[in-house]
Amino acid sequence: MKRSYVGVLILAAILLMNIVFTQLVVHQYYYENYGVTLLYAGLNILLFPVALFVYKNEKNKGGSKGYEK
Amino acid sequence: MSDRNNKIPFDEDNYTHNINRNNERMLDRRGFMKTLAGAAGVFAVSTLPWGAVAAKELMGLGNKEYPNEKIADVKDVKVGDSVKFTFPTEHDSAILIRLSENKYVAYQNACTHLRCPVYWVKDEKEMICPCHHGKFDASTGAPTAGPPRRPLPGIEVEVKDGAIYAVRVKRYEA
Repeated sequence: MKRSYVGVLILAAILLMNIVFTQLVVHQYYYENYGVTLLYAGLNILLFPVALFVYKNEKNKGGSKGYEK
Repeated sequence: MSDRNNKIPFDEDNYTHNINRNNERMLDRRGFMKTLAGAAGVFAVSTLPWGAVAAKELMGLGNKEYPNEKIADVKDVKVGDSVKFTFPTEHDSAILIRLSENKYVAYQNACTHLRCPVYWVKDEKEMICPCHHGKFDASTGAPTAGPPRRPLPGIEVEVKDGAIYAVRVKRYEA
């Protein structure tokens, strides 16, 4: 069985970005830069559909069966 | 293996020999990716309240504006004197202190302990609450002695045309 770890790596990177953005949101909120806070919160929310998209595309990659491709 | 159950009692060394877990607790690649995607969802939801509060602040709901209120004329307030007034409504008693020639400070003077009116003692250069002898620093409003733990809410003042005006209540920073 041959595996594809591309999806795992991409999703791990997305999760890392989530952590970074969440931290920035909290910090910028307390620095009272509310526009920047909204920007990072929006990016953080956008990452979720991206993660779902990556998951849906990658979940059957590298399977042992031919039809799984 | 086949004659194992024919022995009575058969020698068993564990009590879970008939449970076949079939690797159901194993975290495989797909399950791991599912966990990661779910975690991304949790992070997305967890930033929603921060965004909402930030949007609220941006729309100006955080800093309430009140019409400027004249407190007193500059010539009536000597250095070291205090004036009582109310701001922003007539139920919020406040106190203005002229600390030096050009330095005015104002606070809502309900003590942060039990809301007794705090007054200015000129000789001791301190604001004192008569109920339980709480004391506040006049230049910052921070509590220095007694039961109160939180600073008095500050009021921004502005000197314009020889008169002192209350402009707004400062943001409370805990």
